[in-house]
Amino acid sequence: MDDTLLNSTFAALADPTRRAMLARLAQGDATVSELAAPFDITLQAISKHLKVLERAGLVVRGKDAQWRPCRLDSTPLETAAAWIDTNRKIWDDRLDQLDRHLQQLQATRSQSRGTRS
Amino acid sequence: MTHPTHTTELGELTVTRVFDAPREMVFGAMLDPEQLTHFWGPIGSSTPIEGIVIEPWPGGRFETTMVPDGSPIEAGFVMKAVFVEVVAPEHIVFKQDLPTGEMTTASTYTDLGAGRTRVVIHQTNLPPEFTTDEAQAGFNSSLDRLESYLATRTR
Repeated sequence: MDDTLLNSTFAALADPTRRAMLARLAQGDATVSELAAPFDITLQAISKHLKVLERAGLVVRGKDAQWRPCRLDSTPLETAAAWIDTNRKIWDDRLDQLDRHLQQLQATRSQSRGTRS
Repeated sequence: MTHPTHTTELGELTVTRVFDAPREMVFGAMLDPEQLTHFWGPIGSSTPIEGIVIEPWPGGRFETTMVPDGSPIEAGFVMKAVFVEVVAPEHIVFKQDLPTGEMTTASTYTDLGAGRTRVVIHQTNLPPEFTTDEAQAGFNSSLDRLESYLATRTR
């Protein structure tokens, strides 16, 4: 997945209605009207949200011409989670090493103080 | 050092550590090229001093080359960032232009007394249009929730 798609994943997830739609789809495929049912908004508004989710690759529409059921594709979510994990790992490593470095630095300084006194 | 704590929101990352070292020492390590070579890593790579540029003022360059162990420096991963804020010994903010948008990394250093220092690293890769209060409110769904979507999906 390219970075533009990662960006649109974060953007798609930034909206509470869209997150609720994804949570619904995590329970199983649904038609647009089934998706719209829990919300007090127009079918048109739901369709707009759906387009954002489709562009982000989070929702795939079925080929069935009449119902075109919506299905969750979790791949972009995994990529978004992987970005966060990678950066967390880098900072964990870095701060582990910083801790060791600071301990050595303090040991060296107290040693040189000891020599002087 | 206490156990690391993490808070993860979508598109951002917070890492908190407490070090048994005075604040000036911890802060100083972050802006000293020689010291950076000892810890910038990450593990499995090194950050040679000839690849480090630190101009610790707003608009100044912050560049490192992280070289995988056993590889020549040319094979390293170059990070090019620009300092946004440097307030000794409390706060450092730098930003990077990435294909995913601008990534901002802020580190905050708090003196806990008795020679201990808390460091909080906060990183966001959110494009500017998502950093409004309204959009931020939308990001409050945690990664836990994201993971529960995935768990449900793969069940």
